[in-house]
Amino acid sequence: MIWQLDLSILTLIVICAFATIMVKDLLSAAIIFGAYSFLMCLLWTEMGAVDVAFTEASVGAGVSTVLFIAAIHQTTRRVGFRKSGRGLSKAIGLVAALLTGLVLLIAETDFPGFASPFSPASLHLSPYYITQTLHDTNVPNIVTSVLADYRGFDTMFETAVIFTAGLAVIAILRRYKKDDQCELPEPYIISEGYPDTIIRFVARQLVPFMQLFALYVVAHGHHSPGGGFQGGVIIGASFILLAISYDTRMIIGLMSEKTNILLGNIGVLIYAGIGFLCLLLGANFLDYSMLSKVLPATDKVMARSHGMLGIEIGVAIAVMAIVISIYINIVSCGKYDKDV
Amino acid sequence: MDIIVILLSVSGLVFFFATTVGILRFPDFYSRMHAAGKGDTLSSLIMLLALVLYNFHDFNLANLLVALKILLIVVFIFMASPTATHAIIDAGYESGIQPWTKKPEEES
Amino acid sequence: MDSFFIGIGVVLCFLMLLTLHRAIHGPTAIDRIMGVNVVGTKTTILLVIIGTIYHRVDMFVDIALAYALLNFIVTIAASRYFHLHKNLNPKGYGYRFRKEDK
Repeated sequence: MIWQLDLSILTLIVICAFATIMVKDLLSAAIIFGAYSFLMCLLWTEMGAVDVAFTEASVGAGVSTVLFIAAIHQTTRRVGFRKSGRGLSKAIGLVAALLTGLVLLIAETDFPGFASPFSPASLHLSPYYITQTLHDTNVPNIVTSVLADYRGFDTMFETAVIFTAGLAVIAILRRYKKDDQCELPEPYIISEGYPDTIIRFVARQLVPFMQLFALYVVAHGHHSPGGGFQGGVIIGASFILLAISYDTRMIIGLMSEKTNILLGNIGVLIYAGIGFLCLLLGANFLDYSMLSKVLPATDKVMARSHGMLGIEIGVAIAVMAIVISIYINIVSCGKYDKDV
Repeated sequence: MDIIVILLSVSGLVFFFATTVGILRFPDFYSRMHAAGKGDTLSSLIMLLALVLYNFHDFNLANLLVALKILLIVVFIFMASPTATHAIIDAGYESGIQPWTKKPEEES
Repeated sequence: MDSFFIGIGVVLCFLMLLTLHRAIHGPTAIDRIMGVNVVGTKTTILLVIIGTIYHRVDMFVDIALAYALLNFIVTIAASRYFHLHKNLNPKGYGYRFRKEDK
């Protein structure tokens, strides 16, 4: 904990937050919100939480800003401004915010000190994970082992929530009128969007390496910061880069709506399927040590490591498909025909 | 070895400072993009080079791999940052921003 | 050497503050996109510097690479918007509270 850097980054974050609210142009507010996300990731890295910083960088600063800009593209850039009753509503809002802040400050004095070694979490819970993880599961990254093995049930429901979010966007936005649909072209036809050769060339060269890096992040999540969520979002972001530099119809040709929903399903199915397989083999749900009966030449400890890799792959597939599906739905307003 | 690291870091910081002054003080959008695109890339190269050299205090295989990864970041910034600059300037030109011209002096 | 790197980190944060002034106060929206691009590049370098201060650079280099990737994607997406809606500074926008339509 470096207090000098802490203070400077927190000042920048407060300035960014004020600017996001006070700028009256919605596109600029979305972009400054992207800068706010960048700085939050920096703060979490400085506190030592690298997995959280990775997820915030990929989801908050990357995909979330692009989705905001796509949504503003469909609607308007103008902030609505009510002319009547402004003074009273502002006063009530100010009083409510101040009261909430005061209550939180009073409750905060009851907490144990920041990172003190005598808090209940540090006394009873953390020493067990720190000493037992390498012995139980042979995985050095404690965060990944807690997420995927000791608390694997929660992660399964998180993946299901991501899939539900994709379904919700389809339910709200998708339109199926017959006369709206046009024929989708075959893939790899270079359409006449805005023909910018430089951006197309560089995007075409960079996308394979981005996907390779994302696969490295998924597979190496046991030893370095990473894991399933971050890798899946980076693959989705590489497809969004292709969609931006060419146009959306190319991505619809590559990953159609049916493929996206199918892959989202398969991701959650892999996760729940591995848990169910452990159930069939005679142990609890998501107890990977029983997988040593099925996998050849592994003992119980290595079977837990391989089980974690399996569910990370399932999470990555689901997240990638849902990110692409949400982007295409927002940008084409649910009609799947735009050459944006 | 430490002296080279300090020298490179300070010169990278000087270039960053020049970039920031350029962004604040130039009168026109196009000149500000010049400062941002070029100065940013060069400063990143010099500072990351300083960090690569600082890593070589003890010379073993793990440190070599980390140095290669940092050089990978440098290669990526060299490819991506000029493209992003080109994209922004193209968007500005298509939207119709006029370049700044020096106003003729008027006699009083 | 640790305090030297901490000093460099603080100076970088101060330079980020100056760039944010352009990002907030820039008269057109494209100036703001440029400001956020520069802030993103500075953040990448600050990540590797923090890794050097903690003596665990190998953990932080992966995050820095992913950061540079996403910075690039956000900049291209934002500038792509302007090809379709060529509307730099519509009437009545500013950043003070009381700007009405003229």
